[in-house]
Amino acid sequence: MADSVTDKVKKVVSRQLKVEESLINPDSDFVKDLGADSLKSVELVAAFEEEFDIEMDEEAALNVRTVGKAIEHIEKSMKEQGKSGADPQ
Amino acid sequence: MKVCVFEDRDYDKLYPLTYLRATFELKCGHTSLLEKIKRKFGAGTFCYFAREQLAPGLKTKMPDESVNDLDALRDDLLIINGRWLASGTDDLQADGPEEVGISGETLVYARVKADTVQKHLKDDFFGFIDSIKSNLKNKDVSLKLISFPWDLVSSNGDAIKDDFDMLSQKGISGKFPPQAAIYGDADRAYVAETAKIHPFVVLDTSGGPVIIDEGAIIYPFSRIEGPACIGKDTQIHGAKIREGTAIGPVCMVGGEVEESIIHGYANKFHDGFLGHSYICEWVNLGAQTTNSDIKNDYSQVQVYVKGELTDTNQTKVGCFIGDHTKTSIGTLLNTGSVFGMMSNVMSIGGLLPKFIPSFCWFMNNKILKGYGFRMFIKTAETVVSRRGRKLTEDDIRLLEYTYKLVKPERDALIKKERM
Repeated sequence: MADSVTDKVKKVVSRQLKVEESLINPDSDFVKDLGADSLKSVELVAAFEEEFDIEMDEEAALNVRTVGKAIEHIEKSMKEQGKSGADPQ
Repeated sequence: MKVCVFEDRDYDKLYPLTYLRATFELKCGHTSLLEKIKRKFGAGTFCYFAREQLAPGLKTKMPDESVNDLDALRDDLLIINGRWLASGTDDLQADGPEEVGISGETLVYARVKADTVQKHLKDDFFGFIDSIKSNLKNKDVSLKLISFPWDLVSSNGDAIKDDFDMLSQKGISGKFPPQAAIYGDADRAYVAETAKIHPFVVLDTSGGPVIIDEGAIIYPFSRIEGPACIGKDTQIHGAKIREGTAIGPVCMVGGEVEESIIHGYANKFHDGFLGHSYICEWVNLGAQTTNSDIKNDYSQVQVYVKGELTDTNQTKVGCFIGDHTKTSIGTLLNTGSVFGMMSNVMSIGGLLPKFIPSFCWFMNNKILKGYGFRMFIKTAETVVSRRGRKLTEDDIRLLEYTYKLVKPERDALIKKERM
């Protein structure tokens, strides 16, 4: 079975921020909990775009603070851009 | 007689240098192309034509002169292409018969009487230019036009010499301690009254003149080889300034610079080599940023122009960096590199790609979108405020226009990388 959006987001976050997947949960704050700085945050947005084949407005994406909000933002973008694979609501 | 200086349709061959300025505002030597034209025809009234998005900025800089106003053309005119690099020896007179001076297919100048203007002037500037070119006598001329960014750099040494010859004042007026030296003819130096030369500075005029403008400070252990010029309120920090270098106002420069133009308000404070390059305003080159200006096989250098690698027919070509772009510490630039404006370029531990678009972050060998337009502006506001300036609403509008203009190119490159 294909990974859900949530699983994929965790994998991308883990890979980009060098944090174990088990430590990443929807409430994790990218900056406070996962150690993202401005450089890592910009890379993370690019990695999400690449992983999900979507375009994200960089300002809106960088305003997302937590993993849970990122999942919501990505699912919304996927839906708007006609990409399949969003997690069932 | 009115002098009309215009920007022709080839402004985009001079990107990224001309994103935020008209072709005639580019520097070559101690002055801009426009300043050289004005020096030659200073007695006339001037008007200007340039891209519409540049007009508000030009009007602010030259409030008493008209910009993009067709009515201003209803006069006896000397029309001058803003890409002309005027030198003191060029033989172009404001008075004379009606004629169009052309170089190849390009109009370099035109002398047009008011009644002829009336006949050909309709409702757009380029229609007027095309009409007079087709109808007036054409004369082939050998006046120098700047076509590509590297033309400015290769002409820079001679332009400095020309600018020096045109100075009304020469010699040492500013502070020049006994521990500093002029190597060569002292008459080939100009140190302005408020400039300060520290001890253990050498101005070498043996190969050409050295201009140190008002308020400039040359700190100890700097060596400046002519032809070279240091702009108003610029600081040179123990640097080797090699021949053919023009540094504009309010820059801070260290390390080694050779045959380059630093337009103004830019920083290259630390060590690192900059050669055969043109650096726009508000650029910051991080410590140890170094560019190659010659290939190891001494072959001719190619440079990206409008997305295509273009032969420069030159073996020494450095880099061309647009306004507000910053490089990280240890950045290494390949021969003939073009970096767009407002980008944030990180070292990758080796040579970077030869083209990096505008408004991006380049990190880990990837082009990224960065943090969005508003943050680019916020950073720019901080940068200009450090030099006592402020981004005006016109500045921000022009930046936004340019962001929208170049975004498709940036996004296409990002997409291409992901394929």
